[in-house]
Amino acid sequence: MNRTLEYILQRVQKPARYTGGEYNEVVKERQTVTTRFALCFPDTYEIGMSNLGCRILYGVMNQRPDVWCERCFAPWGDMEEELRQAGLQLYALESGDPIADFDIIGFSLGYEMAYSNVLNMLDLAGLPLHSEDRIELTPLVVAGGTCCYNPEPLAPFIDLFVLGEGEEVTLEYIDLYQQAVEEGWSKREFLLEAAKIKGIYVPSLYEPVYRPDGTLEEIKVSEGAPQTVTKRIVQNMDQAYFPVKTIIPSTEIVHDRVMLELFRGCIRGCRFCQAGYVYRPVRSRSPELLAQYGKAACEDSGYQEMTLSSLSSTDYPCLMQLCDELLDYCAPRDIGLSLPSLRADTFSMGLMERLQRVRKGGLTFAPEAGTQRLRDAINKNLREEDLLQSVRTAFSGGWNGVKLYFMLGLPTETDEDVLGIADLARKVYFAWRECTPNRARGVRITVSTSWFVPKPHTAFQWEPQIPMEEYQRRVDLLRDALKRDKSITYNWHDPHTSYLEAIFSRGDRRLASVLEYAWQNGAKMDAWNEYFDYQRWMDALEACGLSGDFYACRERRPDEVFPWARLSVGVSTEFLWREREQCYNSQTTPDCRTRCSGCGANQLLTGGGRCG
Amino acid sequence: MADRLLFSKTGRARYISHLDLMRTFQRAFARAGIAIKHTEGFNPHPFVSIALPLSVGYSSQCEILEFSLLEGTLAEEVPARLTAAMPEGIVIHQCYEARRKLKELRYINYIMNLEYSEGRPQESEPAMAELLGRESLTVKKKSNKAKAGFTEVDLIPLIRSWRIECQSDTMTLDAVLAAQNPGLNPELLRTVFCQTYPQFTPEFVTFHRREVLDGEGEPFR
Repeated sequence: MNRTLEYILQRVQKPARYTGGEYNEVVKERQTVTTRFALCFPDTYEIGMSNLGCRILYGVMNQRPDVWCERCFAPWGDMEEELRQAGLQLYALESGDPIADFDIIGFSLGYEMAYSNVLNMLDLAGLPLHSEDRIELTPLVVAGGTCCYNPEPLAPFIDLFVLGEGEEVTLEYIDLYQQAVEEGWSKREFLLEAAKIKGIYVPSLYEPVYRPDGTLEEIKVSEGAPQTVTKRIVQNMDQAYFPVKTIIPSTEIVHDRVMLELFRGCIRGCRFCQAGYVYRPVRSRSPELLAQYGKAACEDSGYQEMTLSSLSSTDYPCLMQLCDELLDYCAPRDIGLSLPSLRADTFSMGLMERLQRVRKGGLTFAPEAGTQRLRDAINKNLREEDLLQSVRTAFSGGWNGVKLYFMLGLPTETDEDVLGIADLARKVYFAWRECTPNRARGVRITVSTSWFVPKPHTAFQWEPQIPMEEYQRRVDLLRDALKRDKSITYNWHDPHTSYLEAIFSRGDRRLASVLEYAWQNGAKMDAWNEYFDYQRWMDALEACGLSGDFYACRERRPDEVFPWARLSVGVSTEFLWREREQCYNSQTTPDCRTRCSGCGANQLLTGGGRCG
Repeated sequence: MADRLLFSKTGRARYISHLDLMRTFQRAFARAGIAIKHTEGFNPHPFVSIALPLSVGYSSQCEILEFSLLEGTLAEEVPARLTAAMPEGIVIHQCYEARRKLKELRYINYIMNLEYSEGRPQESEPAMAELLGRESLTVKKKSNKAKAGFTEVDLIPLIRSWRIECQSDTMTLDAVLAAQNPGLNPELLRTVFCQTYPQFTPEFVTFHRREVLDGEGEPFR
């Protein structure tokens, strides 16, 4: 380890985040590899190391003997200051080498509030921020992750974006990159070829044309680039790479446990949910394979906890069978099994008994809306009776707390819907009184509301976000309604971050200058209260002559050209529009197993295409 | 009585905190397939306990961890198997049955290295010798228990022996310090030295635990 770095590490908080050297870290000889990849996560080590996608890509790339993928995270403020003062460049954890010397720098973009960290990390690496100012092919700067379904605010900074699941396409563009290096291609030559790979969006080959009112006229396509870029998916989950052997951090991270990915996609079709649309179609892993992976991952990691991960785990067809098989292994070893993403209508006695076997975790349900009408309008398809039945089951089984998540500001929401949240929480309270075996212990019911952010590629992509004052009014309304209930705690989400998310998630390329301006004025780590400064972003918007409300609070025309118009997740716009109309009629759409609604995503599947 | 491990913690592993190190051991035992006793109760987990927590950033070649080996693994197999399941920098040297109580561990031998990259001032050695040779050396020490927020401690009775060795750009203090009830963290010696002789403040100081000793000054195991 570098002496300067050693000196620095004595002075920063949690230095283990910056050292590497963890169990299962992959170290290769520099001379034996042809391509070095810096997998960058634009947030802290604790957050980034918890990301399943990164664990997968790290494994997929390092399986190749000619590629060495290393990790890099955003340093916390104290470390950043020390690095800058000492003149040290941002380095990768495995080798300690500066990432600027790597072949490819890849960012994982999961949420908009990490964008400022992307710029900050490029700067800490000593690289020009703009793609056009990085003349050479090397280092190539790429990005993937959920935000790439509308990456326009980052378009000037990134050489290419990867749409969808990265297991296969990552290796394809690495192959092309290796060919380009060998044959001495220019960066432009490489990007033109890369654009021909399915799932790769090269933003410099697309030019947005704006109308005087600021909306898009069209997005021009350079010759040779595809008209539409469609996301990539893994066809068969049973053949997909599963990270059995993963890095076990030596310091505590956010999700410090085995993550067993049951399936991708979701059958439910909640109209607000971006994940529900962009991860279609549904593809499951077989329970036999999952049980095998789960046990192997426990054995390799020594973790004392396993979580089953998916968008809605109770929709996994063989859940009970899988739980039983895993518990036979886990219970004697005191390995706890946890299941986030539980639908409130599918929580059964059988499942509850299984979850309690080793240690009992918290219980969280997300009804999202307070009344049946609004739940129907957003297609949550959850009936009040079912929710109450589930909490009765849980309370009888000894749980004495439940968290309930809701959103405020959903399309068509009225005050009646807002007050419905309070009613529902009270009914949950009465269910506890009725069922608990021990009233003396008391109960903690937590109601949390967030401010609805309309997202691209959803049925609500045309919707305005309600104004901030209106959100605050609805928060106050609900707070008043709940203030006498001592057993119910109400938390609400800070509106400022949600407003910025609404701006950036449906933002266009002009927002890149806002991002750059905000970063120049100190924006970084915006997902953290310690660093987030709302006024800084408002100033940046103003300095760039842009209005936040134009992006957040404007209802889009039916024929609006969206900034993501050239990007497809396989779900047709007609389907999304139909879903939006269904919302206004308070009509539900059945889940994908009950009846196919023809969203189009099954066409992403080769050979007949049946979702499963 | 419990079983013990003697292990070292050097290199990149120096930055692993005490709590994180306990977690690392719990997982490493499972990874190595070595069955150990679990705690009982609401949240059962593998029981491990590390004697005398080491400050983050210090290296050591004499750390002691207590646990209880269950049937199925021979003690002599443990060092190699467990080391293989560890992150870089942690090496297990011995696994043995505890025969004496931890409170018999009285002293720790620390090696403190004060580095002066521009060259060590000649007078720094007599300065350190003067300081450690005093009759008493009372300093204020942070305390959560005391009302004033600090207590006064005399460091001299907590220092059993010391030796200074100098080179052109380093001064090495080899000191045997009280381990517990109360113990003396060598960081405090650095602080006092820098306060008393600010002109000899080194650029960088490393701390290393070389040995743990009993009341007779013999290695404690």
